[in-house]
Amino acid sequence: MELLRPRTIAEATAALRDGAVALAGGTEVVPLLRDGPLLAARLVPLAGVVPRGVDGRRATPEAEQSHEVGAAAATAAPRPVLRVGAGTTLAELEVDPEIPAALREACRLAASPQLRSMGTLGGNLLQATRCWYWRLHSGCWLQGGDRCHAREGEHREHAFFGNGRCASAHPSDPAAALLALGATLRTDRRELPLSELYRLPRDDDRSTTTLAADELLLELEVPSPDASVYLKAMDRKRFAFALVGVAAARSGGEVRIALAGAAPIPWLLAAPDALDEATPLPGTSYKVEVARTLVDRALEAVAP
Amino acid sequence: MLESLELTVNGDRHALDAPVGRSLAEVLRDDLGLTGTKIACYEGHCGACTVLLDGVPALSCITLVHAVGGRGVTTIEGLREHPLVDAFVREDALQCGFCTPGQIVSASALLAANPRPTREEIGHAMAGNLCRCGAYRNIEAAIASVGGGR
Amino acid sequence: MARLIKTEKEVEGHYTETWVVVEEDVLEQWPAGPRAVVGQPAPRIDGHERARGEARYTADLALPGMLHTAVLRSPYARARVRRIDASRALTAPGVRAVLLPEGADLPPQHAPEAIASEPGAIGAALAERARVAPLTSEPGYEGHAVAAVAAETQAQAQAALRLLAVDWEPLEPLLDADDAVRRKSLVSEPRVNERGDLERGLAEADVVVEAVYRTQNVLHNSLETHQAICHWHGDGELDVYISTQFVWGVRDAVAERFGLERDKVRVVCEYMGGGFGSKNGPGEYTLIAAELARRTGRPVRCALDRRDESRAAGNRNATIQRLVAGARADGTLTALGGEFVNAVGWDGLSASTAGPMQLLYACDNVRTVEYGARLNTPPNAAFRAPGFVEGTFGLECLIDELAAKLDLDPLEVRRRNYATTDPVNERDYSAKGLERCYQLAERHWARRDDVRARSDGAWKRGVGLASQIWFGAGGPPSYAWLRLNAEGHATVITAMQDIGTGTRTAVAQIAAEELGFPLARVSVALGDSARGPFASISAGSSTTPSMGPAVRAAAADVKRQLLEIAAQRYAVDISTLTVEDGRIVAGGSRSWPVEEITGLLGDGQLLGKGARGPNPTGMRVLTFGVQVAEVAVDVGTGEVVVERVAAIHDVGRIVNPLGARSQVEGGIVQAIGYALSEARLLDPASGTVLTKTLDAYKLPTIADVPEIVTEFVDEPDPHLTNLGSKGLGEPPIIPTAAAIANAIRDATGADVRSLPVTREEMLRALREARERERDRLGAPAA
Repeated sequence: MELLRPRTIAEATAALRDGAVALAGGTEVVPLLRDGPLLAARLVPLAGVVPRGVDGRRATPEAEQSHEVGAAAATAAPRPVLRVGAGTTLAELEVDPEIPAALREACRLAASPQLRSMGTLGGNLLQATRCWYWRLHSGCWLQGGDRCHAREGEHREHAFFGNGRCASAHPSDPAAALLALGATLRTDRRELPLSELYRLPRDDDRSTTTLAADELLLELEVPSPDASVYLKAMDRKRFAFALVGVAAARSGGEVRIALAGAAPIPWLLAAPDALDEATPLPGTSYKVEVARTLVDRALEAVAP
Repeated sequence: MLESLELTVNGDRHALDAPVGRSLAEVLRDDLGLTGTKIACYEGHCGACTVLLDGVPALSCITLVHAVGGRGVTTIEGLREHPLVDAFVREDALQCGFCTPGQIVSASALLAANPRPTREEIGHAMAGNLCRCGAYRNIEAAIASVGGGR
Repeated sequence: MARLIKTEKEVEGHYTETWVVVEEDVLEQWPAGPRAVVGQPAPRIDGHERARGEARYTADLALPGMLHTAVLRSPYARARVRRIDASRALTAPGVRAVLLPEGADLPPQHAPEAIASEPGAIGAALAERARVAPLTSEPGYEGHAVAAVAAETQAQAQAALRLLAVDWEPLEPLLDADDAVRRKSLVSEPRVNERGDLERGLAEADVVVEAVYRTQNVLHNSLETHQAICHWHGDGELDVYISTQFVWGVRDAVAERFGLERDKVRVVCEYMGGGFGSKNGPGEYTLIAAELARRTGRPVRCALDRRDESRAAGNRNATIQRLVAGARADGTLTALGGEFVNAVGWDGLSASTAGPMQLLYACDNVRTVEYGARLNTPPNAAFRAPGFVEGTFGLECLIDELAAKLDLDPLEVRRRNYATTDPVNERDYSAKGLERCYQLAERHWARRDDVRARSDGAWKRGVGLASQIWFGAGGPPSYAWLRLNAEGHATVITAMQDIGTGTRTAVAQIAAEELGFPLARVSVALGDSARGPFASISAGSSTTPSMGPAVRAAAADVKRQLLEIAAQRYAVDISTLTVEDGRIVAGGSRSWPVEEITGLLGDGQLLGKGARGPNPTGMRVLTFGVQVAEVAVDVGTGEVVVERVAAIHDVGRIVNPLGARSQVEGGIVQAIGYALSEARLLDPASGTVLTKTLDAYKLPTIADVPEIVTEFVDEPDPHLTNLGSKGLGEPPIIPTAAAIANAIRDATGADVRSLPVTREEMLRALREARERERDRLGAPAA
């Protein structure tokens, strides 16, 4: 294996184009390389290439125009937006008072202190499922095989939405928070709403993201809501992936809800009663019940 | 492919060659003989291999040694005089002791950032260090006693 | 004088009668209560070495020229190996040897002789667990060792393993325990234990409750994985460095396997990173390492990685318990019955899951049947109070369900059925402090109204309790030597092991107490079968009760010599002499530092020896306890939080209150994992283990641990040795899960009968309770 030393985004993406694997915090990539699901002859460290840190409240152009109106008109003013480098660690976000509560809490309740100190936001958004069949590389449908082992097998940690083909659950807590917050992201070539980063895997393309193989996630723009919250149900108090994570953010009269641990991708819930349309497996019906409670509590928490 | 690197561990500089992909934990244990850092899961799920990189707790078993860069590595061998060591012994915060070096490394980072942590804060900051013997209450007491929180 | 006697030896509830040579145990027990050293809290004497990372575990050892091993393990729960082509592996870089199983159709030029399959047993009580077939061509569980490669580096060994071309014939696995019982796939004959007449007892009952309880498979997950380094040298002598709970058992099993005189095998384990019952024997890894070392003439390490640990290192088996209890209106039990199915797996002990039902309560009509289902799942290994942890969950939940139906206080029901002699064989107890435990528990039990009152809309709170009964007498043979040097420093020498329980510190305290020395003047040299006498297994809560009396006897032997010399030196009557805090005291008036006498020795040393005396004949030596758990249940999400556990145990004299409290807390933490979050899951079709990693297998973290209050009866057992101490390793893990489940019922009215109490189990039980309540209210008034 070879370790490259890119100095620029262009050098990094060029290496990715040649089949190298990106290495940020390493918390996901290193075990996967060792274990087999991921193969790489070359690694591209992203430290120093991808932005890290949070830009102070940066007003949008519209917000700049309305600046003179003053704080009293805050409800009418366009919202300030934070720019978060994809190389920012979860530990940095967890303690940053500028960060909206839902994202801060999602980071705080993710993984372990060591993993949060190492792992970056970009890496977290792009992590693979924790489905044990996938992790133990059983050659499942998501890995190019012909069936989802979890659907007929052991699936208590799995999906209750979008699970027709693959029952895996997306594990990212920050992704749910960012979806609820309406974040957008910037790559080396485009800007897109975070919701468009993800898509359910299909028979002809089993990737769970729309990211090109050589595309680098650089920065997120996170609007500041009036209120936001992240609630997480897990098997122990800390250091466990979400059985169900519920993020809710209210901006004015609009509330957005997103779920972690619910579908093969982070899942935006169109409305609270959209839980009625869940498609749980026998072993995940309890998750719908947990989600109902957490959605109710989240809505209560962000209510004006 | 072997690639040479420099590594500063507990203030000592080492020049060595290692294949790309080798973990920091293996280099510490097998190449430098610093066996206080333990490997218990080798995939980032238990915290036994915790070291500090420029003061920040990291899992040496999933840190590629070539990615350490210029960051200074602190292992348990560099913390042998830390008051936490006495506190762990005094409070009986260890049983088999296999997780203990990692616990002390994590706790040292907690106390550096937060000299008087509450019980809740200790629980949050130490949740990445599993102890199968279940010495947790005493670990909490040991950290609190050094932090003056009791 | 040495005496040849027949004595009962008990390990984890299994009694065997054996001849042993014992020394007269002439020492009187010390009076109850804390003494100068024994009974005082003592930080562990090896604490700094462990905390500073200086302690050398087996995992930290590297011998010059050492090779590394990779083991090919079956990916199938059941399969046949038709053929293995090892030619590519044998010529791979760094490879020095390849071991293949018998029976596979091997290319003759690459057919190293296979390891034969039966290494023999450690001892009668542990025979099932010691039986290991190192390599097999007919694997019976996922992870069963099939082949092994030794190479210069671990990476080379692993790379070579991938070059073994194996022709597998996967076979249909047997995975369902009830199915196995129907098909008579059993590891041993069903065990039936009966007294009285169960049917008559049920007929006499005013109230009968029936319930099915299920417990899950859990993994020991010691942080130091199973591993050994083997090294042949000299004239067929074998050194084994191993992470083990039984230095001597490993010696015997390895010697037998390789046809060696026992003392040709030296077993070393100075520091040990956890075992919890899973490291009682050599395991296939040791035999593989020894065989590879024999062939290559090099030291060989064989270590399980975490994933191997999760499939090939043993586990606590799952159980299905179909139970019934009958009682009169006043709570007096008239009948207890149970059919227990232990899902043992491929191999291992079918532990006594019925033990608590047989032993805990005075009840005239008891019938239990236990089946040990043999399955194509990883083997069972003893796990901290095997059988009793599972069986106490069933029994103590059943008693609470009975109490609820009778509308009686659960503590009162337990007292009403208190056994004053052993209900199985009517023997007297050597000592029984369970009633004292109940008394001490009362103030914790009395908190339940306050606890319940702290419930709110989402969080319901409640309190539950459960009793504990278990063994823990220890027994002979166990020996210790003690050496006192000119500087007045004593060293206890015995080839026992400290598996993290703090026995090194406990025996140092016992020696210091007997010698009249401060603790700092006593060291302990242990963990080396070539450099100390035979010592107990560290299993079955037996190390302290087995070793402590032997160590005390050795110290008394040295003290006698010390005082004999002092009497001559100071010309005083020896009967007036004692040693206190490192000084020789004459009649309470004059005193001299011990070094004044020992200093006369120069290079001489005072040497003492001690042996463990016999257990009392015809008595039941047992440990007892009760735990009171307080829980909060989020009825909206099914989250269960244990907020407080009070643990009261009677294990005789407490040697080290600090270490003892740690043992209790550790047991409770493991029990909380057992009750709430830990489960080894299998794929239901293939039988392969899904929870091989510590993200999927959820051990408790520090954030999951409640307030724990520990109390001890701390009365020496007057009939048990010169010490009066019983073992404490296992008792604290036994009652916790039932106490938690009973607290959940108290909080919510829901019956949780299946472990772990995950969200889904909690929500299911809540739903069932709501439906029951609705049926009750909706029932016609007729």
